[in-house]
Amino acid sequence: MKELVEFIVKSLVDNPDQVVVSEIDGHSSTIYELSVAQPDMGRVIGKGGRVINSIRAIVQVAAAKQGQRVSLEIIED
Amino acid sequence: MSQNKREIEATGPDVEAAVEAGLAKLGVSRSDVIIEVVDEGSKGLLGIGSRDAVVRLTSMALPPTPPARPSTPKPVKPAQPAKPKPVERPQPIVDEAEAAPEYDEVSEQDVVPELIRELLDKMGIEATVTTSQTELDDLTDKRLMVVEINGDDLGALIGPRGETLNAIQYVTRLMAGHKMRRRADFVIDVQGYRQRREQALSRMAERMAKKVAARHRPMTLEPMPPNERRIIHMTLRNDDEVYTESTGEGKRRKVRILPKT
Repeated sequence: MKELVEFIVKSLVDNPDQVVVSEIDGHSSTIYELSVAQPDMGRVIGKGGRVINSIRAIVQVAAAKQGQRVSLEIIED
Repeated sequence: MSQNKREIEATGPDVEAAVEAGLAKLGVSRSDVIIEVVDEGSKGLLGIGSRDAVVRLTSMALPPTPPARPSTPKPVKPAQPAKPKPVERPQPIVDEAEAAPEYDEVSEQDVVPELIRELLDKMGIEATVTTSQTELDDLTDKRLMVVEINGDDLGALIGPRGETLNAIQYVTRLMAGHKMRRRADFVIDVQGYRQRREQALSRMAERMAKKVAARHRPMTLEPMPPNERRIIHMTLRNDDEVYTESTGEGKRRKVRILPKT
């Protein structure tokens, strides 16, 4: 799953080496925290969150396939 | 480098599309330009109250390959206007490929199928990916690449009202566009969903048009995404008795069918 998020996000940004995805296991679901270089933030979020929401939809499909519950959050620093 | 500042105006159905078009024209990435919105445009389909968005892009970077630089260290063939004249020995394919700017060489076909295969693989979905071309669109006079995904039990890829499919298409267009350094244009279909939906919508549009004409009263359809509204508008655009328009905003936008008289 982590690999999937990395693959998508790294293909969208100008600084793929600064894409970091960390996995936080909770009891009922797994949270993926995503951080990208500041200038790439807009690209990953998109207008009105359209890009990140679309990525979420893709990740949900993959997670459901494995019977997992996941969420994807962007970390801003 | 900063002498290379270039400024262009680009248009598109919305600001985002206009920016993409401008970036493609300049052959630079978003981070290399200053974007100025000249006109936000207004929505509306097929010219019904619509106005294209206009943006001005100022490029600060050197494009990957400047369109016409006479002194490139590749003097194989000086830039001569000999393209239309077939020379005795035709070997144009190689020549043209060499003459084309670097960022134009990559086509959707080179990038997209592979990208989608990799995405599906990482999603843990087994499916076959094939490509074809659409019919020539009579409005835009273009063919689009269609990526068809087929396999067992792929309903999850389509989602309610095709929402998941649209998300996948949106993200993969961006991914491919980033790779190609220009806007990537293609359609993804899963198990013929879009085709079936298009046929169903056309039939529905014609049925509704008959009702509107018979009753002389307008009808409003349920909310639909832009591509689906477009199918309705296209189906009825030459109808003698009714015309169509879109009303409402965003996700609530609907097509209205109205009698002409």
